[in-house]
Amino acid sequence: MIPVIAIDQELCTGCQECTKVCPVSAIEGEPGEPQKINVDRCVMCGQCVQKCKAYLSVLEHGQEAYEKKKKERKLPVTVKEPLFAAYNVCHLEELKSALENPELFTMVQAAPAVRVGIAEDFGMDLGTLAAGKMAAALRRLGFDKVYDTNFAADLTIMEEASELVHRVTDGGTLPMFTSCCPAWVTFLEKNYPEFLGNLSSCKSPQQMGGAVFKSYGAQLEKLEGSRVYSASIMPCTCKEFECSRKEMKDSGWQDVDVVITTRELAYLLKEKGIDFEELPEEPFDMPLGDYTGAGAIFGATGGVMEAAIRTGYQMITGEEIPDVRVEEVRGTQGFRCAELKVGNLILKVGVVTGLKNVIPVLSDIEAGRLDIHFLEVMTCPQGCVSGGGQPKLLLDTKIPEAYAARRSALFEYDEELPVRKSHENPGVQQLYKEFLEKPNSSITHHLLHTTYGD
Amino acid sequence: MMMDSSSFVAADSSRCTGCRACEVACFAAHNGGLGYTVGTVGVPVTARLYLTRVGNLCMPVQCRHCENSPCLNSCTAGAIRREEGSIVIEEAACIGCKNCMMACPFGAIELVPVYREGRRIMQQGGGEQRKTAHKCDLCIKNDGQACIEACPNQALVLVNPKEDLKEKRRQAAMALALTKGV
Repeated sequence: MIPVIAIDQELCTGCQECTKVCPVSAIEGEPGEPQKINVDRCVMCGQCVQKCKAYLSVLEHGQEAYEKKKKERKLPVTVKEPLFAAYNVCHLEELKSALENPELFTMVQAAPAVRVGIAEDFGMDLGTLAAGKMAAALRRLGFDKVYDTNFAADLTIMEEASELVHRVTDGGTLPMFTSCCPAWVTFLEKNYPEFLGNLSSCKSPQQMGGAVFKSYGAQLEKLEGSRVYSASIMPCTCKEFECSRKEMKDSGWQDVDVVITTRELAYLLKEKGIDFEELPEEPFDMPLGDYTGAGAIFGATGGVMEAAIRTGYQMITGEEIPDVRVEEVRGTQGFRCAELKVGNLILKVGVVTGLKNVIPVLSDIEAGRLDIHFLEVMTCPQGCVSGGGQPKLLLDTKIPEAYAARRSALFEYDEELPVRKSHENPGVQQLYKEFLEKPNSSITHHLLHTTYGD
Repeated sequence: MMMDSSSFVAADSSRCTGCRACEVACFAAHNGGLGYTVGTVGVPVTARLYLTRVGNLCMPVQCRHCENSPCLNSCTAGAIRREEGSIVIEEAACIGCKNCMMACPFGAIELVPVYREGRRIMQQGGGEQRKTAHKCDLCIKNDGQACIEACPNQALVLVNPKEDLKEKRRQAAMALALTKGV
């Protein structure tokens, strides 16, 4: 397993504030002593990275110590921000050398939550939506194709909603659990292997994106998949681990070659002297950068559920959902349930946000006390907008305002987008027509689905 | 008549975990032009309170805003004054002589390199960065104190000596009244 999260033994004060946000009690040590991460328990969510305030003081430790740590952590020399004890391993150097390699054709994707976070690291308001500037920024960095995880999110819905309909109508394992959040998948593998059959077989949007880039995306460019370098910008620290999983090579190569976080994208833009605020709004590249409002809301808790219901409704009833807003699954409570009328079926769904909150839910499912068809689980407090790789707040007192601003920016974006249902995404429709045939076809099963826990 | 005394921030070592959130908040409150996130910081973090560890105990140490301020009395440049009950250093007037650092019995003053809008400010005619004395100003320009608000364990309080005495005397009176009743 590649190391993802680390605690610097020279900087950690042993305050144990991180232990309060770690959902899996993976941080161990005595109070007042440097803490260590138990990698057998850690799900790599990065909430400790967000929490930690034990900074390297240039006055106390010296400028040399600061420069040395930056080098050890493989951060660009241009980084000026404070370094804290808890941090995630940075893969920017790999990405930079790929961007400079003329043999490689680079394709990039950025997760829904990145576009409502990145602007904050350039001094803009909390939750500023910067989709067009982000696309422009990625293009300025030299990516050959600026594709999008939002596209892959729409694709995920096609596969996941089909799988759900199949499980509900043909008697598969229920409730079905979402599998977009790699920290949740890792948690289940480590702690509740008996529930692995409940996980959707769908890969996460990131991994579906990578697999499509190196197959269909390569075909579009008349290239071998081996020449495609696939990069992801993620609000998540665990995505670095997910891309290196042995299951994630169905294109014939590692589907996603490198993952950097939202914060690391800001480092890279600053290093290259790109003035984010002054960038124009640019579109993503087609067809794998086309997206709908359903794909956009994946970044907030309840968003995957809402997107799946918008499409699942149509798959079950053959009719359009009367109202695309599925208010019943919105909100930020750690666990919420809803019953939705879908034709003759009462679809019972649950949404969990904050990994700790899933433990009683799993107990209730096991004991037969909770009867639902479909469960969305996100590890971070309010979904990916609050991910471990998102811009880190200087003041924890600003957290409620920041998360609310990022969440509402995504839901407002959904309202503005001309298409709001994944199955109506023209790029997704083209992909099925030209390459994947239909949802849950043998080719999608090979490329876009997997099994966990082997 | 009871004289008004300056308030000051004090830490409770039984609550402090040593997380340094107070220092980061102090830095953020005194550096204009920062955004909300760590990524907008382009200068070294310098706080006006100092997390200090002695054996198993830890707590931040900061200025007491002394009534007979040794720092104010020692300043040869006239850069230290009392303003709205707070002892403040006018950094533009500070010559960096360190008298105040030596005079302060709490170690609450430090010499800090000066930055403005992310750039180092150099000394006139010299190749070295300007340094000035730096201490808690009770967040005089803001409402409330950033360190107190940021502490996740309520280890910091603003002590108002007058109110503190009143409360202690009230409690003492209550205790005495109870004793009399026995």
